[in-house]
Amino acid sequence: MSRNGPLALIFHVLVMVFMLAPILIVCVVAFTPEGYLSLPTNGLSLRWFRAIANYPEFISAFGDSLWLAALSSVIAVGISVPAALVVARHHFPGRNILCALILSPLMIPHVVLGVAFLRFFTQIGVSGTKISLILAHVVIVLPFAFRLTLSTTTGLDRSLEQAAISLGASGATLFRRVTLPLILPGVVSGLVLAFINSFDEVTMTVFIAAPGATTLPVRMFLYIQDNIDPLVTSISAALIALTVIVMAVIEKLFGLERLLAGEGGGRS
Amino acid sequence: MLARPGTAGSAPMTADAFLALDGLTKRYADHVAVDALSLDVAQGEFISLLGPSGCGKTTTLQMIAGFVDPSGGAINLEGRDLVRVKPAQRGLGIVFQSYALFPHMTAAENVAFGLEMQKVPKAERQARVSEALALVGLSALSDRYPRRMSGGQQQRVALARALVIKPRILLLDEPLSNLDAKLREEMQIELRQLQRSLGTTTILVTHDQHEAMALSDRIVVMNAGKVEQIGRPQDVYERPATPFVANFLGKTNVFEANITREGDDVKADVGGVRCPCPRHVADSAGPVMLTVRPEKISFADQGLACRISSRVFQGTHWLFIGETPSGTATIVCQNDGVAKPEEGDAVHLAWRPEDVALRASGGGR
Repeated sequence: MSRNGPLALIFHVLVMVFMLAPILIVCVVAFTPEGYLSLPTNGLSLRWFRAIANYPEFISAFGDSLWLAALSSVIAVGISVPAALVVARHHFPGRNILCALILSPLMIPHVVLGVAFLRFFTQIGVSGTKISLILAHVVIVLPFAFRLTLSTTTGLDRSLEQAAISLGASGATLFRRVTLPLILPGVVSGLVLAFINSFDEVTMTVFIAAPGATTLPVRMFLYIQDNIDPLVTSISAALIALTVIVMAVIEKLFGLERLLAGEGGGRS
Repeated sequence: MLARPGTAGSAPMTADAFLALDGLTKRYADHVAVDALSLDVAQGEFISLLGPSGCGKTTTLQMIAGFVDPSGGAINLEGRDLVRVKPAQRGLGIVFQSYALFPHMTAAENVAFGLEMQKVPKAERQARVSEALALVGLSALSDRYPRRMSGGQQQRVALARALVIKPRILLLDEPLSNLDAKLREEMQIELRQLQRSLGTTTILVTHDQHEAMALSDRIVVMNAGKVEQIGRPQDVYERPATPFVANFLGKTNVFEANITREGDDVKADVGGVRCPCPRHVADSAGPVMLTVRPEKISFADQGLACRISSRVFQGTHWLFIGETPSGTATIVCQNDGVAKPEEGDAVHLAWRPEDVALRASGGGR
């Protein structure tokens, strides 16, 4: 039974089509037997999936991207949690400045950030290193991790922590057993969003990544500048398949909904 | 010897009080939340801090709990300075208005939390948790998450969680105000019985005078950070020390009166009728305000003339509003089956001298 009228239903379907059609088309094109991007194609082939194996630099770039996204999002969450707790609880001088500072990468174009980081890293002599890449990615994903963590820390009922304190909890125990489970939905969604943003960042990374070791999106970007063949579509399709599998596994193991609703974790 | 609960009036400071607040003060930048509050609480006593919102009652509770640092004064528990003890080490049980149950733990896990923090062995822990849940009648719901419980059930879990650690003091911050009226009444009775049987010293913060009167051994009436009166519920109700207390604890009638004395015989002249009045207040003579509770007034053949302007049936009792020469009168009568005056009837009002309080004129509402 639908509670929406026919017009609303049509609108929703159109929105879904608009969002999913490009992804679908990429997946279909990936199976083309031709040497160029074609739709409709004559028959199906795994040719371009097999071709991925001939480009080990794509596979190593994929690994680098995963590591980079994982590290930068975890570091960003590590900074965001204490920052969001402090900002939510205390009114101190410079509180608004701190918030603005953490959120500012959202407002600065990534091209500008890329140029600025390149200049800065060259100046201090770490240009082209992995550390510089991680640092830059922490800066750009921090707003996402911080904003989502802050949304749960500001809604945190102080009496819950007071109840725990009155029962004898303090310090790390208080954080681990009560505070963290309560803000977990924001922390997890912040982590996920930070990871995704790091993983598909191109504009800034193009400037600062060393030519030898770069991320998958940058590698793909550079590849399609010189070649027009369906390799990038097969890589994209593989990524999409991987994402779907990961989501399914998370759903099976933890339950996405439960994890994000905060009923998991923190049990003895 | 500890001062026994139920002694009237503000108890004098005694060195052996269980909990002693001495000149407790909390100052904020722009106002004083609690102003030099002194209170001795005996072991096993049930004390209510009663007052309107913003009177400082919750701040007082928070200072005892350790979540707010006092600006001045002392808190002593069993003769030891409590202010210097960290909140987590104070061993107090607290029930919050929002219940503050941990949403990611079941009822049993919530109750077990305090025992875990005390590193109580698992077997003993489980026994004590079941005991505590049985105490509040929730054994069947031990594996349920708070969100799947009603307000009353959550409230009981919160109570069990606070009591299971055998707290030195139980602090209740408006614990019943989120419940509906009927459930609140049931919980009041239950809470009273529980507190009596366990003998846990309890401090309740409330703005509901019925709740304070129903539960407490003594009531501390607070207003604007100051103590207005400390006393047994019936004393605070019958003999309010200040106009604020008289008005805050239920309805009261205020009549303009004139004190006249003829030797030992002291009378209050109300609306041309001379009524006997309590001796102890009659140092003065001249105009005063005479206050008397609505349920203490009865209809009589003689007394203050009154014309009934409206009468309202309220089930267990009747409520009458009448006009007298000395002001509007509110009268409450039991619905005892006896015929009552009709609207428009001219009647006379009478009361016993001991039910009257007098105070200086101009100090009225």
